[in-house]
Amino acid sequence: MSGLRITTAAEGTTHRVVLTGELDHETAPELERTLARLPQAAGHRLVIDLSGLALCDSSGLTTFIVARERALAAGTGFELTAPPPPVSRMLRVTGLDRVLLARHPQDA
Amino acid sequence: MSVAGHQVEEPEDREASFSALLEDSMEDLYDNAPCGYLSTLLDGEIAKVNATLLTWLGYRREDLVGRRSFADLLSVGGKLYHETHYAPMLRMHGEARELALDLVTADGHRLPVLVTATVKKNQDGDPLLVRITVFDARERRAYERELLRARREAERERERLQRLTSTLQRTLLPAELPEVLGLEIAAHYHAASSDQVGGDFYDVFPLDADRWGFFLGDVCGKGPQAAVLTSLTRYTLRAAAVHDTDPVAVLSTLNSVLRQRHDPGAPRFCTVVFGLLQPDGDDFAVSLASGGHPPPLVIRADGEVDVLTTPGGQLVGALPDAHFVATSARLTPGDVLVLYTDGLTEARRADGLMLGEDEERLPALAAGFAGTGARAVVDSLAEVLTAWADEPSDDTAILALGPRPPEAR
Repeated sequence: MSGLRITTAAEGTTHRVVLTGELDHETAPELERTLARLPQAAGHRLVIDLSGLALCDSSGLTTFIVARERALAAGTGFELTAPPPPVSRMLRVTGLDRVLLARHPQDA
Repeated sequence: MSVAGHQVEEPEDREASFSALLEDSMEDLYDNAPCGYLSTLLDGEIAKVNATLLTWLGYRREDLVGRRSFADLLSVGGKLYHETHYAPMLRMHGEARELALDLVTADGHRLPVLVTATVKKNQDGDPLLVRITVFDARERRAYERELLRARREAERERERLQRLTSTLQRTLLPAELPEVLGLEIAAHYHAASSDQVGGDFYDVFPLDADRWGFFLGDVCGKGPQAAVLTSLTRYTLRAAAVHDTDPVAVLSTLNSVLRQRHDPGAPRFCTVVFGLLQPDGDDFAVSLASGGHPPPLVIRADGEVDVLTTPGGQLVGALPDAHFVATSARLTPGDVLVLYTDGLTEARRADGLMLGEDEERLPALAAGFAGTGARAVVDSLAEVLTAWADEPSDDTAILALGPRPPEAR
């Protein structure tokens, strides 16, 4: 059974979203709605954990790009963490790793 | 006893009031039931018929009873069906359920009905007669006709859509690739859907007397919006290259154009490789830039495969200050430069494994096609794709450019 499970948790001003399953044109709209409902404000942080993501297609990338733009406009920090190898490769090939992935101190 | 102000009758009172309403004559129930009743002998001769059916058909009782058989009441098609299905079903199973038949009324009109028949048997199990109920199916038949009409209309619409889609798709791909002296050019396009315009595109075009531009890419989304984006991208790339041939500058121009009508909720972006091709003796010099696109391959004549990576190149149209990275290669006769979209690398085998899951797989496969020429490489990769995924679910474009050996020019 394909599909996407989205869980959200707030820790102070950080909203953590954990994705499990497949992020494609069928499931992306649901993630899009979930992310749009999260409160965003200057100084907040939105972290999306990709470790359980078995698949991510271009609809998924679109959702991340839209969410990032909305977050930046509100002054909210936005980052993806723990992409599994195929998602990591996709982010690397599309050059989005530099803008979407969390920057580790050694990268700075 | 009162519940919220309503009187509730005692059970005895209710039985009494039902009884007054209930049929006191079974004969009246039979005659005036809301369906037709008919009893026939085993040979079909009508033995008994109720008033409802007589009214529907416009016959008098004496017209039918003892004079006509059930099959006589049927349309020509119904008679045939009676012969081939109804009668054998009754003989074999002792009943026939919900058969859709047409009766013919006394004045020649057709009455669509649903017929259920059972064979009445005596105590020894010998068949005695056939009991038939007849339901008026005019509305149901009209509904079925309407369904059929709607389905045919939908099929016609779908055909129209597919014709429109394939026409539109053709306008988004070059009608034919140009002739470039000393260069073999080949392309393959696989559209995953016949009723949605795909988002993959490619082109090869002359820039001046001895320079050529080429590109291959993939826009986000599908359908009409993707077609608009594809069209915009193609024309922008061609126009930008006339203005400034530097591949990074071409992609930067495309990025600006795609961002101009930027809608934050619906980003329009693509991944694309744009390159320049210039003959140099028997060789061709290639310089290209990639905007977030899977890396092109150069299959060398001797079987080596170079992966033309452009680390850090970002997809086009998604970010205001997107970064693009250039690289270059020299193609000698027998070499083939291959560009492809992720429909190839993300094709999934039945068990879910992607062709490009292992990044070494495509280069290793490509090495096997070394020295065969651009056309053969494209055909081989198209075969690899269909062998890997029975029905590739994504659009796939492949473009190959290879200098011919001097003796073959």
